[in-house]
Amino acid sequence: MKLTDIFSYAFSAIKLRKLRAGLTTLGVVIGIAAIVALLSITQGLQVAIASQLQRGFATDTLIVTARSESGFKLLVNDTQIIEEVGSGNVTVSVAVILRTGYIKNLENQTSRVTIVGVDYAKYREIYSSTFAAEEGTIPQNPENSSVVVGKRVSDPWNNGTFFCRVSETVTIIWTSRPLKNETYTGTVVAVLQEVGGFSFGGPSDTSIYIPITQAQGFFGTDECEMIIVKLKNADEATIDSTAKAIREAFGGQVTVTSSTAILNVISSVFSTIELFLGGIAAISLLVAGIGIMNIMIVSMMERTREIGILKALGMKNRQVLLIFLSEAVIIGLLGAVIGVGAGWGIAQVTVRVFSTGGSFGGGIRQTNQATLANGITISPVLTPTVLFGAIAFGLIVSVLFGLYPAWRASKLKPVEALRYE
Amino acid sequence: MATIVEALNLRKVYMLGKVPVEALRGVNLKVEEGEFLSVLGPSGSGKSTLLNLIGALDKPTEGKIFIEGVDVSTLNDGQLADLRRRIGFVFQFFNLIPRFTARQNVELPMAIAGLGKEERRRRAEELLKVVGLAERMNHKPAELSGGEQQRVAIARALANNPRFLLMDEPTGNIDSKNAMEIIQLVERLNQEKGITIIMVTHDQRLASEANRTVHMLDGLIVNETANKP
Repeated sequence: MKLTDIFSYAFSAIKLRKLRAGLTTLGVVIGIAAIVALLSITQGLQVAIASQLQRGFATDTLIVTARSESGFKLLVNDTQIIEEVGSGNVTVSVAVILRTGYIKNLENQTSRVTIVGVDYAKYREIYSSTFAAEEGTIPQNPENSSVVVGKRVSDPWNNGTFFCRVSETVTIIWTSRPLKNETYTGTVVAVLQEVGGFSFGGPSDTSIYIPITQAQGFFGTDECEMIIVKLKNADEATIDSTAKAIREAFGGQVTVTSSTAILNVISSVFSTIELFLGGIAAISLLVAGIGIMNIMIVSMMERTREIGILKALGMKNRQVLLIFLSEAVIIGLLGAVIGVGAGWGIAQVTVRVFSTGGSFGGGIRQTNQATLANGITISPVLTPTVLFGAIAFGLIVSVLFGLYPAWRASKLKPVEALRYE
Repeated sequence: MATIVEALNLRKVYMLGKVPVEALRGVNLKVEEGEFLSVLGPSGSGKSTLLNLIGALDKPTEGKIFIEGVDVSTLNDGQLADLRRRIGFVFQFFNLIPRFTARQNVELPMAIAGLGKEERRRRAEELLKVVGLAERMNHKPAELSGGEQQRVAIARALANNPRFLLMDEPTGNIDSKNAMEIIQLVERLNQEKGITIIMVTHDQRLASEANRTVHMLDGLIVNETANKP
């Protein structure tokens, strides 16, 4: 019997029980759709986050922070120590002082921001693509009063209603201990380009930047939160040896984190999440597989006599097996193809529902202060692996669960099958 | 004339629950090519069992059955299936596939044998003409009378140019007028086309239409009569 004839025979049998076959197919559709939707959303999220991270992180940097449990503090001029121990591998290092505070504009509106004290020139050297001015210029030898602001500080709603602009005067407010508001007046010299979601050490859209010496005076400290180190290159050996040298120089009191390591951790976390979600979805596909098995067994019993006739007409066991398997495969394939489409649709809808205005996690905060939340846009990603994997998985499940009923059908004895009422 | 079927001391024991039932108790039979043989007997006499064995649908418990000189009991499932392609079955209850039209039903054995679409179609139409159903070939079994359904079944049985036709009470489910027509068709096939026919029936009148009749009782052939030439 030709394969096309086997398929068309199987198809005619399926057509006879449209509702039943339809419901079984629906089971497969749901299973596959769940897998595709979950995986494409997760992968979309991963891509979005990874691309944000890669912009916010420079892969050739190390971030040195004090180990919080030891009470050890990093000082601004510890950069000298780092440059000494990492000689050869370190091109530049920059101390970063971080505080949370407020910025007040000409209309006396305030906005909560992260105040970052940093050496503009060195910082620029590390983050040349993100610590870049969209408006104004970042001065090489800044005045103490100069302020560089992130994109969202200047244009909080991303609609041209500006909070502050270049050359406007702003007041920077910080609350010190004992509770006392320290203020000083500065001038915006530059607005940064939009950076996007996350950064670790790197420029962010919701921060303002003041010269490090100004920060030391303003915050009354020589301690810094972190020192960012730029390496000559991003290969693993350089990263490892430099990190080790720095740790040893500070007697193990500091943590040295490489951006690459963080990216790796994040990507492995995502792989785990993906596996987990995919696994849950796969369970629903298994349930669908049992559905296929169920309908095939019922179908086999109902058609016992038909099988007897086919055998009397000279059909071989193998051909009976193939006919029944084809029925399962048709259902599985149809379900898988529809399921991939449906899953893709669900992913698109879900992303739209959970994001506001096309951004994820960037909800609107209703306060009179500027909304400074960063939004990252996620769009579901359907990789060929997921696409063909889902279809293949659907097929495998249908074949696997169709195998037993098909085998039983093929083994029926012709005389007994013909006698079956 | 060549012997087409030969049964030697054929025994068949069924298990009915836990009770063994002896359906055949040593049957010897020879069928020659071109013959029209009827097997007559009351129900339970073992005639259907004999037919199943001749049709390679079942294997004997003891004894041997040769079809065209080949011992059926030595064949595996696949070889049995191949053998069945050269045998035409006609059943009491027609056993057509309800979702297929008459033509598709006749095409089915040819599809199983691996014939191409065009050839199948041409031959199916030809065969339906032979059995007088040229006008009804696109009807499904439910739209056909019992007599018409049995003609479709006969056309189907002839599809793969079988060595012989096996008929199990072919008129058992058909009114007498149509039954007569079926019998005439069978006789015509035998006389004009030289097709060997083995027909099982409990109808004395029908059996006498064959060249030769074997009488069965309690799993044995008890008598043999030659009918009109």
